Amino acid sequence: MLRGKTAKEVLDFVRDYKGYLLTNNERDVSQSDFKGRIMPWTTLRAAAHRDSAGYFAFEISGGASVHVDLMKKQVNPFEKLRLVRKAMPNTLIQAGCRSHNLFGYRPYPEDVIRKVIASFSEYVDVWRVYDFLNHIPNMKTVGEEALKAGKILIPSLCFGTGPEHSNEFYLEKANEIVDTFGKDIIIGIKNHSALGSPEKIASLVEAIKTDFPDIPIAYHGHNTDGNDLARMVAAIRAGAKIVEVSDHGFGAWYSQAPALSLIQVLEDYGYEPLGLNVKEIIKTSEIIRQERRYYAKFESPFRGVDPLVRAHRLTGGAVSMAYEQAEKLGLLPRINEIFEELAMVIKELGNIWPVTPGSQILWSTAVSNILYGRYEQPSDDLKRLLLGKYGPFPFYDPPEWIYQKVLEHKRTDGKKWYDIIRTEGGLRSTSSEKMSDKKREFETELGREASDEEFVLFLLFPRDTVNFIKFVDRYGKTWHLPPSVWFHEGRFEDGTRITFSDDKGKLHCIDIVSTQIAENSVKTSCLVDYHFKTYTVPVDTKVRTLRNG
Amino acid sequence: MINKLLVANRGEIAIRIIRSAQELGIKTVAIYEETDRFALHIMKADEAVCIGPGPRKDYLDIDRIIHAAKETGADAVHPGYGFLSENPNFPTKCREAGLIFVGPPSDIIWNMGSKVIARKIMQSVGVPLIPGTENLPPGNDGEQKAVEFAEQHGFPIMIKAVSGGGGRGIRVVNSMEELLKGLKLARSEARISFGNEDIYLEKGINRPRHVEVQILADNSGNVIHMGTRDCSIQRRHQKLIEIAPSALPPLVEENICEAAVRAAKAAGYVNAGTVEFLVDEENNFYFLEVNTRIQVEHTVTEMVTGIDIVREQLLIAAGETLSFKQEDISIRGCAIELRINAEDPKQGFIPCPGLIEVYQSPGGHGIRLDGAVYQGYEIPRFYDSLIVKLTVYGFNWQEAVDRLRRALDGFNIVGVKTTIPFYKAIVEEEDFKKRRFDTSYIDSHPELLSYKEKEEEIDKLAKLIAEINAHGYNPHTL
Repeated sequence: MLRGKTAKEVLDFVRDYKGYLLTNNERDVSQSDFKGRIMPWTTLRAAAHRDSAGYFAFEISGGASVHVDLMKKQVNPFEKLRLVRKAMPNTLIQAGCRSHNLFGYRPYPEDVIRKVIASFSEYVDVWRVYDFLNHIPNMKTVGEEALKAGKILIPSLCFGTGPEHSNEFYLEKANEIVDTFGKDIIIGIKNHSALGSPEKIASLVEAIKTDFPDIPIAYHGHNTDGNDLARMVAAIRAGAKIVEVSDHGFGAWYSQAPALSLIQVLEDYGYEPLGLNVKEIIKTSEIIRQERRYYAKFESPFRGVDPLVRAHRLTGGAVSMAYEQAEKLGLLPRINEIFEELAMVIKELGNIWPVTPGSQILWSTAVSNILYGRYEQPSDDLKRLLLGKYGPFPFYDPPEWIYQKVLEHKRTDGKKWYDIIRTEGGLRSTSSEKMSDKKREFETELGREASDEEFVLFLLFPRDTVNFIKFVDRYGKTWHLPPSVWFHEGRFEDGTRITFSDDKGKLHCIDIVSTQIAENSVKTSCLVDYHFKTYTVPVDTKVRTLRNG
Repeated sequence: MINKLLVANRGEIAIRIIRSAQELGIKTVAIYEETDRFALHIMKADEAVCIGPGPRKDYLDIDRIIHAAKETGADAVHPGYGFLSENPNFPTKCREAGLIFVGPPSDIIWNMGSKVIARKIMQSVGVPLIPGTENLPPGNDGEQKAVEFAEQHGFPIMIKAVSGGGGRGIRVVNSMEELLKGLKLARSEARISFGNEDIYLEKGINRPRHVEVQILADNSGNVIHMGTRDCSIQRRHQKLIEIAPSALPPLVEENICEAAVRAAKAAGYVNAGTVEFLVDEENNFYFLEVNTRIQVEHTVTEMVTGIDIVREQLLIAAGETLSFKQEDISIRGCAIELRINAEDPKQGFIPCPGLIEVYQSPGGHGIRLDGAVYQGYEIPRFYDSLIVKLTVYGFNWQEAVDRLRRALDGFNIVGVKTTIPFYKAIVEEEDFKKRRFDTSYIDSHPELLSYKEKEEEIDKLAKLIAEINAHGYNPHTL
């Protein structure tokens, strides 16, 4: 039981631990394989078993989840953290953070970064932080705030392969990390694109361990190519203390490999599952297996491992998104063509790591290149990347013709690309409006005082936060509803009974009595906690033809 | 003894009367207009008669009602409140038709209905009166008398229609200019509203409390009082909340009740009635008027005395003498009554008739409901918008207020806007909680209208489920 211990006590525990530790990363499973849609209902149903399974930590926040919670799940990210902490009192709660891009896609001002990290640290015990350019200064403010809040910091190296991605390069970055944050940290290896052989991972772990014998190492990998089990085994055998896993009940493809499979393999290598309760891991998946069907429609149109990741290198979450986007654009038959283009774009753009927000920039550039010609329709984010707004390129700069094409695109002032870089380029402290002005603007829009948590969410995602709050005012806490209702398709059969519990543990019951379809509206009659009520909803005429089910 | 009673009214008061009659073993006849054919009182009576197409006019048609009574073999008629209850022709016509009228005789209704005669009677037995004039003659003479009155008593002054009542036909003026202008307007309004343009003046009292005394009088000259009611919380002279007893000092309470009995005796009063007073800031009280009928707020008196006033009305009308004396009446605890209407307080209390989709009411110790609706009932637009009269009883003021809050929270009414959230705001308001109010309470607490209408969480979720059902998918997950 690590909850309640100080960061130093936890680190001492990890350093001295004789076995290996597992972090269950539901946040990444949800993001990589189910478009982030796993609802608190499912998380909470599995919580007691996960909490008894003996995990080092449970990652449930950060990454894209904060934005998806607000936009697509209508869940307050802070409330989700409170619920999970309460339901899992023994397990450390972890969040992933994109350095100065926080949970978003562009750098935030320093005061915003500090406020966001301090607020989330109320509920987050472990911060796993990375920067898609491996530019360590980008992590500085986030790491400082996490440490100041007494939290465990895992500054992570984005891992990749290629001539430049040598152990020496990563050791240099590890040194930078230690110089920035000291030695009371855990160094993370973030293998988001499921690259490298087990030997390659083992050699990096050993190299870091040799240089920093007192700093524990955590390995976060994806199983996109189907090989991460082997890489995790290699990492542990080389001395990594923590690896990140999924539940086999999710049957995930592009996120982490399952905990149970790893435990079983490691047993053959002589590693006992110290502190891990296998029965609880199995029980977790028994529950999750029943829930998975609710999320099936959010899975990638192509299911199964994707060995092509070695070439396109997309991070787990971006793979399913890529397939879906290609399908929407009618490009699914040309997906390999896009992947080939993507590999070329990555090479041209400095061999950077295709992980958020870099993955979005690289992917959209590749798609745009296929659709409109190479670098003919550059995005604003690509321009920002070339201008160095996210940080410097780690290995080499893109060729001049790309700078010219991208930066001079649609410029009416006739400025040349090198002048644009000179006058507009570089990592600059983005200007921050006064917090008080922002808060006033927010409260004016809400028409009432905003809570501190609401304001933090507004600083992260202004428009989506306002919409979320308005949604909750109108519909309440909809995450109480079972996923079978939240994701329901078709009409409810007469006599359908919907049951769920509220915040206070009270059981509620909504019985659908009848559905009457008029020309421009649908009237639903139901018993709401045994009180008869009717709701008339205006609808498009075409929905009248929907069949029950 | 009465064998069959026709209730010449509708809604909650008709049901209230039917209940007492049924307890006495009296058969009951309801009347209704065609536009009111789904009203609850029809279902509660033993028989029902449609007296015409309506709306409103047939409930005021004495001949049709008497015809209905004769047709059904009723031997008595109870007028309830409103409609014909204070029309002196009604008891006369009933008597002529051989029917018992449950209420005072015509001459008393007539005398008490005339503010000027009533004041004279009160003056004769020393009941304090608000300084006032007799009927003002029209034209310059009237204006001259009004000016003299204003010079003697100062402002504010109330211009009152002789035939007004219940807050209607009253105009308050604060200057000589307003007075002279107001005389003409008041006279013209009185002519249009009451068919009688006679007006008189009364001295206005600042921030008065409205206190009334319930009386019962039998045909043998026995008159008793049943204590006071404070009806100060009013909106535009219409009572909103009534409380029994009033919180007057004991000696003042005693004096005001004695004055009411004296007034009833002087008037030769028979049956149940109410003597209304205004009480100023120094606890001086002044006669206001006598209401010669059962009143909406009679329930609070019943709660604190334990006496069924309608039952007593029926027994008195049947010729019985009062079965108890003044010393048998004791006031215990505190009762509060309010009218839950289908109205939107935020829109000037505009009536909101419509379908009551859900009607769930509170219950438990100390809660009385006199309702007029049922789930699925459509409140017609032609009549008053009363949904239910809520009366709570508590051992003391604090307990009564706590119970009132609990009772209001216990309502679940869907389909029409109601006055419940407004009352909830009052129950939470500090002056009310501390029992500090007078007739200016509503005007001096405009914040009461800033309440937020709270929607239950479960209803919000049900709304979303209805949307998913309507669209065939959840539009908020896209």
